[in-house]
Parts: sequence; C-alpha cells; structure tokens
Amino acid sequence: MTITRRNFNLGSVAALGALAAPAMARAEGTTIVVNGSGGSLETVIRDMFELPFTEQTGIKVRASAPVSLPKLKAMVESGNVEWDLTELNGDDVVIATKNGWLEELDYSIIDPEGLLPEMAKEPTALVRASYSTVLAYRTDRYEGEQPSSWADFWDVERFPGPRSLENSPKGTLEFALLADGVAPEDLYPLDVERALSKLDEIKAHIPVWWSTGAQHVQLLIDGEVNMTSCWNGRISPLQTEGKPVAITFNEGALMLSYMGMPKGAPHPKEAMEFLKFRLNPKLAADFVKVVPYPGFVPGMFDYLEPDFVETLPTAPKNAAAQFKFNSQWWAENLEEVTERWTEWTLL
Amino acid sequence: MKAKQNWRLMALLLPAIALICVLFLNPLVGVLIQSFVGDDGFTLKSISKLWTSRLARVVLERTFWLAFTVTVICLLVGYPAAYYMSQLRPRKRAMITYLVLLPFWISILIRTYTWIILLGREGLVNNALQWLGLTEQPVQFLYTNFAVHLGMVQILLPIVILPTVAGMVNIDGGLIKAARVMGASPIRAFWSVFFPLSLSGAATGGLICFILSLGFYVTPTLLGGQKSLIIANLIDLQVHKTLNWGFAAALATALLLATLLCLLIFWLATRNRPEFATGGLSR
Repeated sequence: MTITRRNFNLGSVAALGALAAPAMARAEGTTIVVNGSGGSLETVIRDMFELPFTEQTGIKVRASAPVSLPKLKAMVESGNVEWDLTELNGDDVVIATKNGWLEELDYSIIDPEGLLPEMAKEPTALVRASYSTVLAYRTDRYEGEQPSSWADFWDVERFPGPRSLENSPKGTLEFALLADGVAPEDLYPLDVERALSKLDEIKAHIPVWWSTGAQHVQLLIDGEVNMTSCWNGRISPLQTEGKPVAITFNEGALMLSYMGMPKGAPHPKEAMEFLKFRLNPKLAADFVKVVPYPGFVPGMFDYLEPDFVETLPTAPKNAAAQFKFNSQWWAENLEEVTERWTEWTLL
Repeated sequence: MKAKQNWRLMALLLPAIALICVLFLNPLVGVLIQSFVGDDGFTLKSISKLWTSRLARVVLERTFWLAFTVTVICLLVGYPAAYYMSQLRPRKRAMITYLVLLPFWISILIRTYTWIILLGREGLVNNALQWLGLTEQPVQFLYTNFAVHLGMVQILLPIVILPTVAGMVNIDGGLIKAARVMGASPIRAFWSVFFPLSLSGAATGGLICFILSLGFYVTPTLLGGQKSLIIANLIDLQVHKTLNWGFAAALATALLLATLLCLLIFWLATRNRPEFATGGLSR
C-alpha cells in the first residue's frame, strides 16, 4: 500500500521535474522542507545551519512549522508528503515508528565515521537536542528560602500563591510522584492514580495549565503565577533581560528531541546530507550559545566556555540532578493516560 | 412563463451553491463519515463513546449551559440598548449602529488578549482595586467562568442588538399610542404591546448568539480555566493530543445534531408566527 503511494508520489515529482527540466536540471536546484517548531528558533536555525548548508551544497532549505504528529499522519496516509525532515519528541518517534510513518535513516551518510554516541541514534530518528522541563519561580516572591524541589512546589504553606503546570500528563505526573516521595529510579511504570491524587492537593492553586512555551514565560513575567514547570531554554533570555526569574535543575525531566524523515519524503538523500551538516561541532556549539538545547554532537563542548556548559541540561552536574524521561513508557500508555488526564482536568 | 423565470433566477444562486458544496458540505460529509470509520472499516465505536464517556457528556452539557447563560446576559444587556436605539431618529440611530459595529473591526483574538491585560493579577482592574483600597490581594478574575462570560458577551452583544433594533423599529408606533389613549400607563403599554411585538427580533438575535456560542474556541481557551473548556476544546484535544479523530468527528457530529435540534425546537415554537423567522422584518 505504502509502496504504491510512494511510487505514485515519486512519479508525480518526476513528472513535475521533467516539466521544469530546463530550469532545474541540476541536483543542486533541489529544495528540502524541514519542519520545526517555528518562531524565533526558526530564524536562528536558518542563519546558523540552513544558509551555510545551501552555500556549501547548493541544496536549498525551506522551513515549515509547527511540529505536529497529526499532520505527519495525514501526510503519510494520503501519500502527499511535503516534509523531508521533521522535529519530533521522544514518544512521537515511538508512535510514528510503530505506525510506519518514518523512514529508516542511513547512518553511513549521516555519521560516516561513527562518532555519535549510540543513545543519539534511533533507527528512524536522530537526537537533535536535549532539553529539560524544570521548576521555574519568581525570585521576588519569597523572602529567604526559594523553592528547590517538587515537594516545595506542592508546599502551599511555605510557598503560597498561584502556580502553573503543563496541561499534559507527560512530566507532570512524574513531578507529582517525586513530590510524593517516590525515588527518581522508581518512577516507571508510573502510578497514575497516585500522581493524580497528589495533584488533587494543589489543583485549587493552579488557575491555569499552560500548553505552550510562550505561555509559561508570559505567566511568570506577568505575575499570574509564582512558579511553574517550564523548559530550561526559555528562562535564560529572561534572566539576561533582568527579570526576577530562576530555575532549578533539581528533579527536572531530561527530555530528548529528535529529527525524523517521513515515509515517502521527496528528497531523502539531500535530507540526510542536511542531518550530517547539523552535526558539525563548531556550528552546533554556536547554536547552543543562542539556544541552550544541546544535542549529542561529538566535540561540541570543546568549543564552549566551562561556565556556560554548567547551565546546559546535559552538563554532568545538571544531568545527575534530573531523571531521564521515559518516552517508551509514554508511547505505550499515552492514549489511556491522556484520556484519564483529560477527564481529571476537565471534570 | 413564470416558472421559467424562476429557474433563471435560481441560476444566480449557482456560484454560491457550488462554493458551499465544495468548501462546506464536502468536509462536513467527511467528518460525518469519519465518525463511523475506524481502523477496520465501519464501526460504531466512536459514536457509542458519546454515551459511555462521562467526559463527553459533561463537556456537552457545559457547552450548552455556557451558550445559554451568555445568551441570557446578552439579551438582558442588549435589549435596553436596542430599545434606546429604536427610539432615536434614523440619522442618530445610524451613527450609534456604527459604534455598535465598531468592535467587529478588531479581531476576536486581539479583543480576547486585551481582557488578559485588563483582568490579570497585575492587570489594570486589579491594580485599580488595590490602589482604591478595595482589595488587599489580587482577585483571580482571569481563568474563570466570569472572564469567559465577559469576553463572550463583549463579542456577541452586537449580534444580539442589531436584529433586536431591527425588530423594534418595525413596530407600528400607532399601536402604543392606541394603548395609551385607551388608558394604559406607559409601563403597561410597554409590557402589553411593545414587548410582545419586539420579541421576534430579540429571539432571532438570541438564537444566532446561542448557536455562535456553541462553537466558541478562542475565548474559553485563553480566558477560561480547565472548568470552562467546552466542546471545541475537547475536539481540538482529540485531534492534536490523543489522535482519536474518530471520536473528534463524533463529537463534532453530536454538536451539529444538537444545534439542529435547537433550531428545530425554535422553528416548531414559532412556526405560526412568520415574523420570527425573519427577525421582525416581514413587514
């Protein structure tokens, strides 16, 4: 089924190509479409990776957004694949691979010398970045002691005021269990009901559940909440601007973000060349200075100041304070838990 | 001869009909089909989940209750304003009508975000209340049902006011004078003559407001808490988070059927009074 769709797709692309032959006879006229999360990140990626890549190879890159598993599903199932690459989070990769929406990657092209650590190489996806969901708080709200664990987040006596958490069970349930005294190594498989009853304790103190990165930033700086779970990279720009916010990596969730290729992607070879290009340690280091979401690019830390490395989620000290988010468990249980979660939040 | 002319006139409708078929009916049928199709062909799984899922039932009830309360508030606020407008001379009324329509020039999204700035814990309203010494702690206005109602009423009010004014303007002023001549007090004349005659316009405005409220998405999402999320949010969740498109389609179908049912009830209740179908414009 998929094969015929793909053939059809290739056929139509070939036909289009034949029509436009005089204009783009050379391979370097190719444009690959790379789907990401958009926003200011898109500009950074364009300047740091896409434009130099085009300069070097002649292959143009067009960015699209947002990252959406439903869109990937629709594209692959209709045989109308627009993306050559797309960002995906960990459980997206598991689900998309299980459903056959992703192409196998050819690591002999991407990583010919075999420098990448094994944990960065899934058969159908490459680790693009790592990020942490951590506890962020307003430093001007509490005199003396500042919150430093999920138990503190739950402690409305010592740390009063509204707070926010992500409107998603992913990570949030883990935080509740940690607050309830579960050891990080015993988190999985998650005890969903125990986590929800722990969340019942602070439900009344959560006026709003955030759903985008921009939103939790806004909630913090507008003073709508005193603390929230948040993505580590969103806070450093605020601190640079002098806003009274801080994060702690303690008990954060270390998460991985991937790059995958939709099944039937029109330009697989060029796309994998682009993946290889993004593993250049110098470029990756420059990128991380702007966007503190490091991948596992070998040799990247050599180009960075030790003080700066300290602020990254994968810095040894920070990595040790966090727990490793288990995407496999989430992919297996996502539907059931999301349904339970929706019921719990909406009823 | 006359029939032929009718057919020619009907031809003028063709572009509109074609547009509706391609852009509206086609996806609508797609949604209907989706609610009956699962991984292995025909299935009633999605549809039957409407009954078994407590979530779907509660959220549907919440959606209709929200639409109802918003409509009632719009009518209570809009009716006096419409009465005032109907008593003005036409030129002045036209000017006020422009003012009523003015908010339509600004996108719903922007108007909703404005409420966030006004109602926030460090927003204008809370700052003013604290400055006046009326409150010590910030009041939680945002992310409540109150904020959702405020936002929705603000958006929907013109939609209630305009048909109500249209209905009132068409009321024959002589009837009220006649009531007064027959000895009715101004209040009696209003309640016995003017009010019943104005109902058709107000009911039309209220019905449109109710149906639009059922489909609201942006306002509850941005201004409401979890308890204010309605059917559109639940459909969005099924499409984007759980990837359960069958159930999303079933929810959409349920909303459509429930809306049609409301229209049917309205039609049955008013079918002997043709002015209701036209918002008092039949004369």
